[in-house]
Amino acid sequence: MSDAFLSLQDLTLGYGGSVAVEALNLDLDRGELVALLGPSGCGKTTTMRAIAGLMKPMSGRITLDGRDITRVAPNKRGIGLVFQSYALFPHLTVFENVAFGLRLQGVAKDEIARRVTAALASVGLASFAERQPKALSGGQQQRVALARSIVVEPKLLLLDEPLSNLDARLRLEMRSELSRLQKELGITMIYVTHDQSEALALADRIVVMRQGRIEQIDTPANIYERPVSGFVAEFIGFENTFALKQGALVSGKGSLPVAGAPDAHGLAWRPRTVVLGQGAHEGRVIGASYLGETVEYLIDSAAGPIKAETPAHAPRHAMGENLRFDLPVEAAAVLSRA
Amino acid sequence: MRLAGQTILFLVLAFLIGPFILICVAGLSGGETLAFPPEGLSLRWVARVFEVESFRATFAVSITLGIGATLLALLIGVPAAYGLERYNPPGANVIRNVLSSPIIVPGIIVGLALLRHLVIPLGVGILPALFIGHTALLIPYAVRIVSGSLVNLRVDIEEAAVLLGASRLQSFTKVVLPNIRNGIMAAFIIGFITSFNQVPVSLFLTGPGVSTLPIDMMAYMEFNYDPSIAALSGLLALMSLVIVLVAEKLLGLSRYV
Amino acid sequence: MFQDRRLGLALLAPATLFILLGFLLPVAILLSGAFQTPEGWGFSSFTEFFAKPLHREVFWRTFRLGLYVTAISAVIGYAVALSIVDASDKRKGQLVATLVLPLMISPVARTYAWVVILGKTGIVNQFLTGTGILDTPARILFSETAIFIGLIQLFFPLMVLPLISALENLPRDVVPAARMLGANWLQVFWKVILPLTREGLVVGGTLVFVGSLTAYVTPAILGGSKVLMLETLLYQRVSVANDFAAAGVIAVILIVMSIVTNVVLKRLATRKGGK
Repeated sequence: MSDAFLSLQDLTLGYGGSVAVEALNLDLDRGELVALLGPSGCGKTTTMRAIAGLMKPMSGRITLDGRDITRVAPNKRGIGLVFQSYALFPHLTVFENVAFGLRLQGVAKDEIARRVTAALASVGLASFAERQPKALSGGQQQRVALARSIVVEPKLLLLDEPLSNLDARLRLEMRSELSRLQKELGITMIYVTHDQSEALALADRIVVMRQGRIEQIDTPANIYERPVSGFVAEFIGFENTFALKQGALVSGKGSLPVAGAPDAHGLAWRPRTVVLGQGAHEGRVIGASYLGETVEYLIDSAAGPIKAETPAHAPRHAMGENLRFDLPVEAAAVLSRA
Repeated sequence: MRLAGQTILFLVLAFLIGPFILICVAGLSGGETLAFPPEGLSLRWVARVFEVESFRATFAVSITLGIGATLLALLIGVPAAYGLERYNPPGANVIRNVLSSPIIVPGIIVGLALLRHLVIPLGVGILPALFIGHTALLIPYAVRIVSGSLVNLRVDIEEAAVLLGASRLQSFTKVVLPNIRNGIMAAFIIGFITSFNQVPVSLFLTGPGVSTLPIDMMAYMEFNYDPSIAALSGLLALMSLVIVLVAEKLLGLSRYV
Repeated sequence: MFQDRRLGLALLAPATLFILLGFLLPVAILLSGAFQTPEGWGFSSFTEFFAKPLHREVFWRTFRLGLYVTAISAVIGYAVALSIVDASDKRKGQLVATLVLPLMISPVARTYAWVVILGKTGIVNQFLTGTGILDTPARILFSETAIFIGLIQLFFPLMVLPLISALENLPRDVVPAARMLGANWLQVFWKVILPLTREGLVVGGTLVFVGSLTAYVTPAILGGSKVLMLETLLYQRVSVANDFAAAGVIAVILIVMSIVTNVVLKRLATRKGGK
């Protein structure tokens, strides 16, 4: 048995006959906030639901705080879940929604009142106790859902893309709220998302998933700067990702020799590290978009289109212009696999 | 064009509702026989309705049958609707068809079948057989209406309840039921009215002391030409209308029809 | 959370068993009885049934009236539905309520009114004799016409409601588009509205046709024992003559017509690149 607070061992999950997640292994420490990051269909939500007990694994084990919970019913695991759609009980007031779990536990009336009021205060909704869920905005519903889950003091809190239904500004606000709350209460959290900026901002560690398997587990900084595979690189913003063969970048279109290339599976560059106007390679501008702070270019090259980004004040390049460009190896992420 | 449409609409509504208003007025007649226009207005035939022994007895049967059959139909229909909607069990389509089958079978066949193969050979009483027939008739309505409510109720609130510590049963009673309550009540009202007005199923399932009100009315009108049936029709219609209007006000019944 | 399909089956069991044992089984036995003859399985009950001219007459009458009622309901139904759909939201709600409410009232009450209207001393005859159009009152009650009128009044709302629903689901601007391309109103109806509301017509048509075929109360009150329809014939054969063979045959005919109508009309709605 692992020492970790939460341990997933060789977890295989599927629907009907098909496998969605294969032999997953993951350990979490107490108090960590781990993000499950990946595109839709990668298995992150399935994994989360299996941890919650809403789905039975095909094989494998789940242990939480020293206890094997693989066969334990979801209402007995001590795990909380904040749903993407908030899932507030429409027939109950905000107070009753938050009190729901406590009432089931038979907690005394005045204790319930005390804890619910405290939970609502911690999410900034102290005066909303008697409101109806349908009278609340998305952000407020989200906070009630959060209060409802944390008031029962779960060992582990799962959050399923909790901010995806909010507008951009609110999302930023709620993000900092969540972070603050997590550190204050020290709750172990698993945060499921497809948004890399959320994962980078919130997580202690990020688990990048793809087609039912883990691609990379690492700190946000390492994921951001040192992706190990082409998939992670592209997902995290390295828009120029190439396989490497005998010192040249290869793509479906052709190849581009690169000086000083290491012996690795591939290389990847972020658009802003591509150097325009000088360098060993030749290309033609086939796209130019002014984005305010920056200008985004698409350069046609021997290995296919290259995306470049320069600050708006840098010299501009016109459509159809032939220019030289460089892909500096020092600025590349070295990919150890596909 | 619009005028033609409006005229047709008016004529059609007159056709649909007119005769009905007419029968109510005829029931208020002061005369001896059923006629329109009535000879004077009086409530004597309305009062007479309450004096006819068979009307009172069969009214009691119809009401008991209506309430009882609807309750049973809901008692077994609500779990069935829940099972179908949430679990999608193997053979769901076949089961759905079985549960809807009472709607396709003409009622008179049901009554006769129950008489010939349940009452006579197995000694099941007439009233229980009537009860079975009516309940079977109402199950499709119960399942359909409650399914409609369940489809509109998101699954994740049940999952949320379970993760907050509720057992499956608690999740059903504390979260699902309160939110489909209106659907269930609508199903109850529609079921009750359907059972109360039902004739064909009850036709063959009448016996000494057991008959439903609509059938009794049909028997009465064969030999009596006084306005009591008209008065009774008016009263029953009033009862139906009041029930429906109250239900509409309280539940928004029209959403479930 | 809903992976335990056996629990789902357990929830379905009571209702399903109730219908299978208390409903389908007795009905199946009754229907199978129509195919049993002294020599084993066969259609002799059917041939005997149709050998009697009265039975053939009742069969055709039921079928004919069903068709007439459905056809007239469809034509007038479209007119009414189009008018209702045009109305303001509030009016629409009121109009639909006026159509739906009669469905909640006992068929006995609704049909009985026609006895008053169509009887020898009813208002129709009062009008006809009073204005001198007729010398003696016409016999309208206890005739096919009376049944026809009663059935239309009973089932008309069941045609209009699905039509209203279908018309409301028409893609937004198809009618103005057709007009802009030069269609007159008849062409708009025939080429645009009718094909696109076909499903609603089928639903309404099935309800009205099957309802008319399997009606009891209206033929009983307005046709009496002189003008029989299939269900009143069934009742008469059983209660008067204990003729269970005939009853079984009629039962089979009614169910087969009900199922065939449902199946055929469904095909009509979905063929030819329908929905």
